[in-house]
Amino acid sequence: MERMVMKIAQIILSPIIAFVIGVFFLGLTRKIIARIHWRYGPPLTQPVIDIIKLFNQTSVSHGGLFNLGIILSLAGSIVLVLFLPIGNFHPLSGSGGMLVILYLMLFGPLGIALSGGEAANPNTSIGISRKLILALGYEVPLLFILLAVMIRYDTISIVEIVRTQQEGGWSLLSFPMVVPGIAYLLILPAILGKRPFELVGAVQEISSGPMVEYGGKNLALVTIQHAFSMFIGIALFVNLFLGGSSNPGFFIIKMLVVYIVEVLIHAVFPRMRIEQALRYLWRWPTLVAFAGLVLAMIMGR
Amino acid sequence: MDRNKLVKWFKEPAKMGHKYSLHAVYFCTGCGIIEVPPVITARWDAERFGVIPVATPRQANLFLITGYVSVKTLKAIIRTYEQMPEPKFSVGFGSCPVNGGMYWDSYNTIKHLDKYIPVDGWIAGCMPRPEAIFVAVTHLWTLIDKDMADGYKKYREKYNYYRANQEQLFGKLEWPPLFPVGDKHERLAERKS
Amino acid sequence: MSVELLLIVAFGGAFLTYLLGKISYKLRDVVAVLVSCALTALIAYLYGKDMEETYYVGFLGLPLLLRLNTLSWFFALTLSAVGALSIIFSLSYIRGKERTDFYYLMMLLVNAGMLGIVLSGDFVSFYIFWEIMSWSAFLLISYNRGPALAAGMKYIIMSVVGSIGMLIGILSLYTSYGTLIISELAVAIASASPGYILFLLLLFFVAFGIKNAVWPFHTWLPPAHSEAPSPFSAILSGVLVRMGMYGFLLFFYGIVGFRSFLGLGRGLLSFHYILAWIGAINIVIPTFIAMLQNDSKRLLAWHGVGQGGYMVLGAAMGTPLGLIGGTFHIVNHTSYIALLFLVVGAVEYRTNGVRDLNSLGGLIKRMPITFIGALVGACGLIGVPLTNGFVSKWLIYKTLILERYPFLAFAAFIGSWGTILSLYKFLHNMFLGQLPEKYKDLKKAPFNMQFPILILSLVIILFGVLPGIPLKVINNIGTSFGFESLQVNIWGIASETGTLNTINIFVAIAAACIIVWLISKAGKRSIRVSQADSYAAGASVPVDRYHYTVDFYNPLYRMISPFLRDYVDDFYMKLAQWTRGIGNGVRRVYTGDVGNYVIYILLFLALLIIVQVRWSVW
Repeated sequence: MERMVMKIAQIILSPIIAFVIGVFFLGLTRKIIARIHWRYGPPLTQPVIDIIKLFNQTSVSHGGLFNLGIILSLAGSIVLVLFLPIGNFHPLSGSGGMLVILYLMLFGPLGIALSGGEAANPNTSIGISRKLILALGYEVPLLFILLAVMIRYDTISIVEIVRTQQEGGWSLLSFPMVVPGIAYLLILPAILGKRPFELVGAVQEISSGPMVEYGGKNLALVTIQHAFSMFIGIALFVNLFLGGSSNPGFFIIKMLVVYIVEVLIHAVFPRMRIEQALRYLWRWPTLVAFAGLVLAMIMGR
Repeated sequence: MDRNKLVKWFKEPAKMGHKYSLHAVYFCTGCGIIEVPPVITARWDAERFGVIPVATPRQANLFLITGYVSVKTLKAIIRTYEQMPEPKFSVGFGSCPVNGGMYWDSYNTIKHLDKYIPVDGWIAGCMPRPEAIFVAVTHLWTLIDKDMADGYKKYREKYNYYRANQEQLFGKLEWPPLFPVGDKHERLAERKS
Repeated sequence: MSVELLLIVAFGGAFLTYLLGKISYKLRDVVAVLVSCALTALIAYLYGKDMEETYYVGFLGLPLLLRLNTLSWFFALTLSAVGALSIIFSLSYIRGKERTDFYYLMMLLVNAGMLGIVLSGDFVSFYIFWEIMSWSAFLLISYNRGPALAAGMKYIIMSVVGSIGMLIGILSLYTSYGTLIISELAVAIASASPGYILFLLLLFFVAFGIKNAVWPFHTWLPPAHSEAPSPFSAILSGVLVRMGMYGFLLFFYGIVGFRSFLGLGRGLLSFHYILAWIGAINIVIPTFIAMLQNDSKRLLAWHGVGQGGYMVLGAAMGTPLGLIGGTFHIVNHTSYIALLFLVVGAVEYRTNGVRDLNSLGGLIKRMPITFIGALVGACGLIGVPLTNGFVSKWLIYKTLILERYPFLAFAAFIGSWGTILSLYKFLHNMFLGQLPEKYKDLKKAPFNMQFPILILSLVIILFGVLPGIPLKVINNIGTSFGFESLQVNIWGIASETGTLNTINIFVAIAAACIIVWLISKAGKRSIRVSQADSYAAGASVPVDRYHYTVDFYNPLYRMISPFLRDYVDDFYMKLAQWTRGIGNGVRRVYTGDVGNYVIYILLFLALLIIVQVRWSVW
C-alpha cells in the first residue's frame, strides 16, 4: 500500500520537476547568453511570463489535427519523463527499458510534424524535413553509443545502469565508456536543438520553421514541450554517463553543470547548414562512437 | 516597473503578462527599422523589458510601424496586422505615419496610418533615437494598465470603417473581410463621420 | 469438418464467382465477398484442432496430404482475412474496368492457392499450390497492361527460377528418403550429414528468398507492386511475399529442426549468422531507397522489401524471442502494408489514378478517414509504441542485444529511422499541406473502402495494446518447433531480463493526453482559419504553389543517393541482355529458312563422308 502511494507521488512529481527545471533552464539560457553579450538580459522567470501571456492570447487553428498533434507531442514528452530515472524517481521504468525510451522519443517530433503539416505552409514543411534529417544524423552515433552502454552493462534497463554506476563509479570516468561519453558530448547540441544545430526553429531562415503558425496557447504548449525535450536530452546523458544519482537534488545539480556547458557552446556558435551538420554528425562523432562500441564489445565479455 | 510585485501577478495575470512579454513582429516596414537592431542587441538591450523580435505575426503582439508607409507596404501591413492574435498593440514610429512627415506631398505614401489600421501610440521624430522605443514601451505599459490600449477592440468594432478605407485605396481586396461586414449604407455613414 | 472442405470452398468459390459473373454483376460481387468471409470464419472455427489427412493417393505413386497445425492456422487466418478485406475493397475499385470477372477469379484463385500452400502436408501438393499461386499472381500483376506487362514478366521469370530451385530440392529429398510427406521428412532428416543439409538449405533459400524478396533477389518486387491494382498490391505485399517466410519457417525449423539449423558452420561463418546479416542489409538499404521515391506505391513496395529483413533477422537468430518476434512481425507487416496500399488505392480511386507524390496534397481535408488509416498504418510501420509493430520490433531488438550482436541491432534501429523519414514524406506529400485547386471537391472514399481501412487500423492498435492475443498463438508455434515457452500475458511478455508492459504505456499516454488537453483548455478557443490565411510574409498565399513536395529530403539525397543504386538490379538486367544476345546469336544459325537447314544437312553428310573415306571409322 505504501509502495503504491510512493509510486503515485513519484508519477505526479516527476513531470512537475521536469517542467520546473526545463522552464528554469530556458530562462537561464537567455540570462547567460545576455551576460556573455555584456548586457543584462531578461529576468530568470521570463519564460514563465511568456507562457502566462501566451495562455491569454488567442490562437489560430488550421484543423483538428493542428491542435491534436501538439497535444500528442507534449503528452509523449510527459510520459517519457516517467520512464527516466530522476534521482530515485522512476515510476514506470519496469515496462520495457531503454528501447521504450528510444521509441517514446519519437512522439515529440511526430506530433509537431503532424500538426505543422496541417498548417499548409512550406516553412513548416522545410523545418520538419530539416528536423527529420537532423534526427537521422544524430541517431547514427547515438545508436552506437546506446548499444555500447547496453552491451557493456549487459542490460536494457536504465535503472540497472544507474545502479551499477552508483556502486562502481561514473561511467564517463571508466575506460571504455569514456569514448562513447565523448561522442555523446559531441552530439548533445544536436539532440537538444541548440547552436550550432539550431536548424529547425531557425527564426531568420525559415521563419521559425514548424512554429510559424503557432500563436497563443499552441505556442505555449510547444514551448513547454521544448522545455521537456531539453530536460530529457540532458537527463539521459546524466543517467548513462554521470551516474544518475540517489536523490533528485544531486541529479539536478549534475544536470545544471552539463547544461551550462551546453549554453556556453550555444552562445558563441553560429548556425550550421543542414548539409554541413549531416556531414559533421556522420564523420567524427560516428567514428568515435563506433570505436566505443567496438571497445565495449571487446572488453565487455 | 512593477514586474516584481507578486500580488499583482495573482490579481491580474493577463495584464501583467501582456505588459512584460511584448513580442514584436520583425517586419521592417520603412527606414526607421535601422533604429531597431541596436535596441534589441547589446547596445540598448530591450530583452530586459521582455521585448524580443519574432519571425511571424502569429507569435507576436506588438507591431512597430517604423518609417514611411508606401501604398505597396500598406497591403502587407494590413495583412500582418490582421494575422496577429488578439490582444495586439501597434505603435507608429516616426513622423511619417503621423501626418506624412517628410513625404507629405508624395503620391505613393500614406499620410494618416490611423485610417487603415488602429494605432495605439505615436512617436514623433525623423528618426527618433532608440531610447524613444523604450519610452514607447513604458508608455504602452501605462496604457495597458489603464485599459486604454484597445486598438484591437476598435478594429473589431469599427471594422466597416477601416475596410471601407482600405477598399477606397486599393479597390477590391484579395483577402476576405476579417470580421463580418455590415451593409453598404452603414459603411458609408461611418466613413463620413 | 475437414481440411479438404476449406480447399473445396476456396477453389469452388473462385470458379463459381467467375461463372456467376457472366450472369449478373451484383450476384458475383455478393458471392465473392461471401466466399472469402466464409473462408475466414471457417478457419477461425478450426483454431486449436490439429489434423492431418490424405486426400488423394496415387499421384505419381505418392499420397497427397493436407494438414493443419498452429503454424498453418496462423498463416491461413492472416491470408484469408486480408483476402476478404481486399475483395471488399475491390468492389468499388474495380467497377467499370474491363475483364472484372477475370479479376475476381484470379483474386480468389490466389487466395485459394496460398491456402493450399499453408495447408499442404507433403511437398507435391506444396509445389502444385505454389505454382497456382505464382501464375495467378502473374496474371493479376499484368492486369493493367502497359508497363504492368514488363513488371509481370520480371516477376514470373524470377519466380520460375525459384520454383525450379525448389523442384530440384524436392527431387533430391525424394531420392534420398523416398517420401515427401513433411512429418516423415522431419524425422528422417535428423540423420542427414551437414553438407547435405547445407545444400538443401541453400536451394530452398533461393526458392523462398526469391518469393520473399530477400536482398539479392528483391528486384522484381518494386515494379510488380507499383503496377498491380491496389487491392491486389495489398495481398501481394502482405501475404503472397510472406509465403516465402512460411517456407523458411517450415523448412528451417519444421523440417530441419533448429538444432541442426543453428549448428551449421562455426562462429562467424555459420549459416544462420550470414542469414542474419543478409536480413540486416535487407533492412537498411531498401528503406533508404524508399525515402527517395516519388511514386507512392513504389515507396510502399520498397518498404515491403525492407520489412522482410526484420522477419529474416528474427527467424535467423534461433532464439525463442527472435523467432516469436520475427513471426509476429509477419502478421504485423501484413496489417500495415495492406492498410497503406488500400489507402493509396482509395486516393487513386478518387483522383482517377494519381499516384505521384509531387502532385497531391492536403487530402486530409477531403478524406479524413483515409488519413486516419494512413496515419495508423504509418505509425505501425515505424513502430511507434502502442502499435503492433513496436512489440515485434522490441522482441527482435531485445534478442539481438541480449545475444550480443550490436551491429545487427544497429542496422535494425537505423531501418526504423529510415522508415520514419520516408513515411513522413508519404503522409506529408499526400495528406498534409496545401490542397490543390483541382481536388477541392473530392469526395470521401466510399464505405466499402473505408471498412477495410478501419478494420485494419483497429487490428494494429488492438495488437499493440494487447499483444498477448496473437502472442499466445505464436508462442505455441515456438513450442511446436521445440523452443521453450515464453511467459506471455495479455499485456506483453514477462521475463527475467526485462518485461514489456504495453498496458502501462497505453494508460500513461492516454492519461497524459487528457491532462494536456485540460491544460490547453486554460487558453482561449482557437479561431479556425482557412488555408489561404497562412503566413506568407504579408503577401497573398500562392494557390497551388505553396506546398513543399519536390525534393523533400534534398540535402540527404545529395549525400546518400550515390550509395543507393540498385546494383543487383543492374546485374540482373545485364544478365538478361546477355541471354538475349546469346539468343540473337543462336538465331543467326537457326534462321527458320529451310534452305539453310538443307545446306546444314548436306554439309554434315559431306563431313561424314570425308571422315569415313579418310579414317574409316565405321
